[in-house]
Amino acid sequence: MKKLESNILNMALVLTLIAVVAAGLLAWVNGVTSEPIRQINEKTVSDGVKSVILGDRDIEFTVAPAQEKNGFVFHKVMDANGNPLGTAVESVDPNGFGGNLKVMVGFGPEGEILGYQVLEHSETPGLGAQADAWFRQASQDVKEQSGVANVILGRPAKAGNHNIIGMNPGDDMLAVSKDGGQVDAITASTITSKAFLRAVNAAYKELFGYTAADAVSGASSQN
Amino acid sequence: MNYFKTILNGIIKENPTFVLLLGMCPTLATTSSALNGMGMGVATMFVLICSNVFISLLKNLIPDGVRIPCYIVVIASFVTVLQMLMQAYVPDLYKTLGIFIPLIVVNCIILGRAEAFAAKNNVLASLCDGVGIGIGFTIALTLLGMVRELLGKGTFFGMEVLPASTNMLVFVLAPGAFITLGLLIAIVNSFKNKKA
Repeated sequence: MKKLESNILNMALVLTLIAVVAAGLLAWVNGVTSEPIRQINEKTVSDGVKSVILGDRDIEFTVAPAQEKNGFVFHKVMDANGNPLGTAVESVDPNGFGGNLKVMVGFGPEGEILGYQVLEHSETPGLGAQADAWFRQASQDVKEQSGVANVILGRPAKAGNHNIIGMNPGDDMLAVSKDGGQVDAITASTITSKAFLRAVNAAYKELFGYTAADAVSGASSQN
Repeated sequence: MNYFKTILNGIIKENPTFVLLLGMCPTLATTSSALNGMGMGVATMFVLICSNVFISLLKNLIPDGVRIPCYIVVIASFVTVLQMLMQAYVPDLYKTLGIFIPLIVVNCIILGRAEAFAAKNNVLASLCDGVGIGIGFTIALTLLGMVRELLGKGTFFGMEVLPASTNMLVFVLAPGAFITLGLLIAIVNSFKNKKA
């Protein structure tokens, strides 16, 4: 077969034809994969609720139907007798390094952080993407390095803390240590770390209606 | 046309990363670990083979005036298919590679092979070219990821092999990608020059 001539009719016809076939293929694949994708997303949510509230504890629990408010999703978790164990909150910060950073945070009845999980992110692999483990690990010991090595190899982590489990945003807003806060940012991923902590703080504020920052300003305005 | 030679050609003589120096953006961006590099390589290979075969099939149907838009539609469709399949069946890998999957659309290896090879050769040869270039790209990315992971994080495919005190963070970051790639290309060139 000889190559089709490049006149306007041929070009328009062929491009339309290819686009239509491509659209049909995509529609078909979308139909096939949408069910597994939905199941995976649902499973991620239910597994997430369990892990951020219960952690490794293996006890019976029930989850109240999810509630949505102002873009946050709440999953209230109770034990077998109906006593509240805590609430898992889905929270999104739009200003991660690669766009939306969606996390689920579990708060106990007093507002202490029980656990968290990163649900969706577009952070850099190997850097910001470490967020799903970083904020629950105890800090490693300080590495001893010379001044030159610091410049070439990156400064070793200070003997700070980046484990947020057990902290309570109601007592003290979470902030990275660069901003005078109590949480060490991920090495070379301050933007991700800030977005993560903003999402946690926002989740707390939406759940309990106030934060430590409000408590301070509220007290000073009363004086 | 020797099909086996076409495959070998893509892996060694025209290795897309070490010889043609094509597709540098995903090469540098996704190779922070060996597994990420390999995942990206295999994903690219899938798109490359599919697009090569289809473009070779359609080469006489597509008028020259609209060939680039047609190629891009074909490539973008396969990338979207791949993205949906990965999301449904390998969600973990999809999570790690994240934003780099849609970017395969603009990977110049794929458009480059479509234009330079698939548009001029028959379907079987184009398939072999896709396999060869794909394997070459995967090997290069895995190698790059292995070196960077070993020097930067002290791990080999996730297993710890070096103590944390020898980790050089710079190799996980962007500058390390350039340094490692440059050195690997130098090594490949020195081997090639010896043979010649």
